[in-house]
Amino acid sequence: MVKVYSFESCPWCNKLKKYLTSRGVEYEVRDIELDEEAAKECQKISGDLTVPVTTVDGKNYVLGFDKAKIDALLGI
Amino acid sequence: MAKEKVHKDVVIVGAGMAGLTAALYCGRMNLDTLVLENALVGGQIANAVGIENFPGFISVSGSDLISTVQQQAENFGAVIDEFDSIEKVTLKENPKIIETEGKIYLADVVIIASGMNRRKLPLPEEKKFAGRGVHYCELCDGHMYQNKIIAVMGGGNAALDAANFLTKYAEKLYIIHRSEFRADEVTQNRVKKNPKIEIFLQTEIKKLFGDKKLESVEILDKKSGETKNLQVDGIFVNIGVVPNTELFKDELNLSQSGRIIAGEDCKTNIAGVFAAGDVREKEIRQLTTAAADGTAAALLAEKYLSKLKGDF
Repeated sequence: MVKVYSFESCPWCNKLKKYLTSRGVEYEVRDIELDEEAAKECQKISGDLTVPVTTVDGKNYVLGFDKAKIDALLGI
Repeated sequence: MAKEKVHKDVVIVGAGMAGLTAALYCGRMNLDTLVLENALVGGQIANAVGIENFPGFISVSGSDLISTVQQQAENFGAVIDEFDSIEKVTLKENPKIIETEGKIYLADVVIIASGMNRRKLPLPEEKKFAGRGVHYCELCDGHMYQNKIIAVMGGGNAALDAANFLTKYAEKLYIIHRSEFRADEVTQNRVKKNPKIEIFLQTEIKKLFGDKKLESVEILDKKSGETKNLQVDGIFVNIGVVPNTELFKDELNLSQSGRIIAGEDCKTNIAGVFAAGDVREKEIRQLTTAAADGTAAALLAEKYLSKLKGDF
């Protein structure tokens, strides 16, 4: 399952989610503002202080909304 | 596989206030209208927390305002594609050619409302700390700095609004600006009264320090010539903007600052190509003037199209 670390009022996160939906990709939202565990996971995965972070396996990830990298990560 | 060719009456490049207003007007005139935006719909105001100088609203967030304008444009038939990127444009031909990743658009009119991008921090360490202490989106990354020390670089309205917003998270916030504030009085007074904010004017950031993440910055007081180290966890950079005109520089006349030269009628040096909003060279660049440009460009685009099609 694709996981998107994000929070509700983040404009790039919302663009990413809209893109995944437009491509028919199902994903789980991990809200880093509401869920402390999710925030810790996100930090552990990317080490960066920015979202969105998209991952499938918790190891390989894409930071931000980078369409080409997301397509490559998800094979779409 | 060859890309599909699609004809449009009007292609609008950019979905900020100017582009969406043009789309709304074009839609209402029954023009087959496409808006291409590969960054955020809303452009620079997508990140604005509270807009207080757009008539009709006491205070409105950029995202709320822009989503309403987007809805208005879409209600009148304009299509907004926010996932396709433009690769190449040819404006001198008729129809004009806009080649994207996925399609080739043939457009009778092109309205360029591509706006501006934030200027990057001009220090060699920027790349090392981008996303790890150097940021350009307060709404996206501000919350990562709960009870931390933040610096905001810049002295315009956008910088000071960002500083005020970020004090929601920060324990302490520095505003560092190389000259005097350019922001309006209301905004300046707000930051001056904010107990979490300390202001350094006539001050430059010279170096960034940190192992994996930003830990401190070296600042230079330009008046005294003294330097000192300031502990900060993150910097939000708001030091101006650069026009998005790279795609058009070979065909359109640009000013020294890289903006498109066009008058109040938004007409460029190529018939059927209009420039609207902050990307147009002009003295005043506000949300209201962006909306005005979008209106003028759309109405004059319709006149141009009528002549082109021999309607009168």
